[in-house]
Amino acid sequence: MLSRKRFWFAIVAIVPTLLIFGWVRMFPIVETLRLSFFQWNLLSKNKPFVGLENFIELFQDDQFLTALTNTAIIAFGAMAVTIPASMVLAAVIYHRTKSRFAGFYETAVFIPHVVSLVPAAMAWKWIFDAKLGPLNAVIVALGGEAQPWLFDPVLSLICIILLVSWQTLGYAVLIYLVGFRNLPKTVYEAAKLDGASGIQSFIFMSVPLLKPITLYVSVVTLISGFNVYAQAYVLASDTQGAPGRLVRVLVMDMLENSFQNFRVGYAAAEAVVLLVIVLFLTAIQFSLLRQKGGR
Amino acid sequence: MTLSLRTRTLSNAARLSLGLLLTGSVTVQAQEIVIWGGFPELTEYYERVAESLSDKYPDLTVNVEPIGLRDHEKRVALGLSSGLEDATVLELIGSTANRYIVNELIQPAPADVADFVNDSANFEPFFQETATVDGSVYGVPVFRGQGALFYNTDMLAAAGLEGPPMTMEEYDEYAAKLTQRDADGNPTVSGWSLRLSGGGGGIAEKFWINLHQYGGTVLEKAGDGYKAGYVSDEGLAAFRQYVNAVSGDKTVTVDMPADAEAFQREQTAMFIRESWVIGDTAKKAPDLNYKTALLPRGSIALPVNLYVAGGSDEAQQAAWDFAIAANQPEHLVWMLDNVGWLPNRSGVDYSGVVSAKPQFSAFVDLPDDYEFFTLPSIEPINEILTRFAAKLVDSYGDESLVDNDAAIMAVLESAAEETNKILDRAGILAK
Repeated sequence: MLSRKRFWFAIVAIVPTLLIFGWVRMFPIVETLRLSFFQWNLLSKNKPFVGLENFIELFQDDQFLTALTNTAIIAFGAMAVTIPASMVLAAVIYHRTKSRFAGFYETAVFIPHVVSLVPAAMAWKWIFDAKLGPLNAVIVALGGEAQPWLFDPVLSLICIILLVSWQTLGYAVLIYLVGFRNLPKTVYEAAKLDGASGIQSFIFMSVPLLKPITLYVSVVTLISGFNVYAQAYVLASDTQGAPGRLVRVLVMDMLENSFQNFRVGYAAAEAVVLLVIVLFLTAIQFSLLRQKGGR
Repeated sequence: MTLSLRTRTLSNAARLSLGLLLTGSVTVQAQEIVIWGGFPELTEYYERVAESLSDKYPDLTVNVEPIGLRDHEKRVALGLSSGLEDATVLELIGSTANRYIVNELIQPAPADVADFVNDSANFEPFFQETATVDGSVYGVPVFRGQGALFYNTDMLAAAGLEGPPMTMEEYDEYAAKLTQRDADGNPTVSGWSLRLSGGGGGIAEKFWINLHQYGGTVLEKAGDGYKAGYVSDEGLAAFRQYVNAVSGDKTVTVDMPADAEAFQREQTAMFIRESWVIGDTAKKAPDLNYKTALLPRGSIALPVNLYVAGGSDEAQQAAWDFAIAANQPEHLVWMLDNVGWLPNRSGVDYSGVVSAKPQFSAFVDLPDDYEFFTLPSIEPINEILTRFAAKLVDSYGDESLVDNDAAIMAVLESAAEETNKILDRAGILAK
C-alpha cells in the first residue's frame, strides 16, 4: 500500500496530465456533443435547443449521405490496399535485411508518410491530369485509352484511395517490420524442417501471428481514412484551369457547414456521427481479431 | 503594519508592471495592423498602400496576409467569432459582410470614413449601398468583380468569324465553329470554356451569369423574402445550353483544361470571366491576341469593401486610414493597370490604362441598358449556391438530358425544392 506521501506525490504528478488531457481531448468532444443539439450560426448569441432535429435532418440530406458513402469507400478502400501491400512489403524488406540496401528500402517506403500532404497531393494531381498527366501518357503509350481520373465519379474516388494508401503505407510497413522482428524464429525453423516454402510460411504462419499488428494497423488506417480531407480538397481545388470533380467527404462537409454555411450545430451532429461510426468499427475490429486468437 | 506596507508595495509594483505591460501592448497594437484578403494577386497593391502611409504613421507595421478566397472566408468567420487581437482590415464582398454586421461583429465606420463613402463625388449609390446597413456605413468600397467575354481573335479569324457573339444562340454557333477536334472527333480545344467542376458555389454563380443573359435569376425576390427563380423557361434555356455543350455537341468536356489558364494557353477560344484576367494574361501570356466583349444582357457585379475589426482605438484609426488610402487615385490606377480588378471609386481618370489596354473597354464602356445583378445579402447564400452547384455538376454530363426538356425541368424542380427548403429554414422563403 502506498504511503500517504507517495499517494499525494502520485496524485500531484498525474493531475496536470489529466487536466491537460481533459481540456484538449475530452472537453472538445463533450462540447461537440452538446452543440449537436443546438441550432447555432457561429456568430449569434441566440442558440436555440433543437433536440435531435440536426440528426434527423442529416439522414435526409443527400449531401451528407454522399459524403458518408464516399468517406466509407475511401476508408475501407485505403485499408484494403494498405494492409496486404504493407504486409507483403514488410516481409520482403525483413527478409532482405542482410542486403546493404535495407536501410534505403525502409526509408523509401516511409518517405511518403512524412512528406507534407498538400504538395504531395498537388504532385498526384498532376500525375492524374487527364490531358497533361504522365499516368495517361503511359496508358496511351501502352495502347490504352486516356481516362478522366479526376472527373469521373468512380475514378476520382480511386485516385483518393491511392493517395491515402500511398501516404499510410510507409507507417504501416514500419509497424509490420517491428512485428516481423518479434516473431519467434524457432517456429519458422520447424516449419522449414517440415518442408514449408517461404510463401507457405508467410501465409500460414506470419499472417496469423501478425494479427495484433494487423489489428493496430487496420484501426489506424481506418480512422485516418475516415478523417480524409486534404487529399479530396487539393485534388478538386479551384486552381485556375484544372479544377477536378469534388469528392465530398465528411470532414469537408463539416468544415463547409461550420464556416461557410454557418451551421455549427449541424456540423457538430456530423462530427458525432463520425465519432460513433469510428468507435463502432474499432470495437468490431477488436472483437473480430481477439476472437480469432489475437492477443 | 510592515506586512501591510510590503503588501501595498508589492501590489503597487505589480500594478505598475501591469500598467507598463498594458501601455507597451497598446503602443505595439497602435503601430500594427493586419490586412486579411481573399485575393493574393492584390498583395503588392496593399503593400504599396501601406508604404504610402509611412509619412503619417512612421512606426506603423502593416502585415498583408492574403490567402485563397474560400480559406479567407473561413478565417474571417473564425477570427470574428473568436475575437481579433490586432486591428484588422477585412476584405469582404458586401453580401458576405452583412452576416457579421447584423451580429454586431463589425462595427460602423467612424464619421469621417462615412462622410468619405457617402460623398457622391467618390462613389455611385450602388457601391454606397453595398457598404451600408440600416443607414450606417460599415465599409469602404474598393473594387468589384464584373464579367465580360474574353475571346481569342486569332481563333475567331481562323474560323471565319468576325466580331464576338452577341446573343446566346450565337454563343452556341461560335462554340461549334471554334471547337478543334482530333481525328476521332474528340475536342482538343474547347470552343467556349464553361465552369463544369471544382468545389464551392462558383459553378452555380457562373450558371447564374449565363441564366441572366436569358433574363432569368437563381433567386427571385418576392416581398420580403426570396424563392428559387430558375424553374422557368429561362432556366431551362440556360441549362439546356450547358447540357448540349457538354453532352450534345461536345464543344467542351468536363476534363478539358478550363478557365483563364486554358485561355492563356490557347486551349479554349472563349470564356466569361472578371477583369483580373487582363492583368493575369499580361503577365502569363503577353503575346496572346484577344479581345473582350459585353455580355448579351448584362453582368454580375460583386463589390468588395474594406471593413475594420479588432485592436485598440488608435490601431483602428490607422486601419481606417489604410482603407481610405487604398482609394487614392494613384493606387487605384495601379491596381487596374497591374492587377486588373475594377476600382469602384468615381472621378478617377482611368483613361490612360483603358487606352493602353483596350480589353478593359468591355468592363467600363457600358450601354445604359446593361443590366447588373449581385448576390443577395442573405445568410444562406453560400449554402444555396453550393448545393445547387452539386446538382448542376451531376447533370451537365448526363447524356440522357440532351433534347429532353422534361428531364431538365425535373432536375431544376428538384434543385429548387432544396433551395426553397434552405430559404424556409432561414425564415426568408417568399410566401
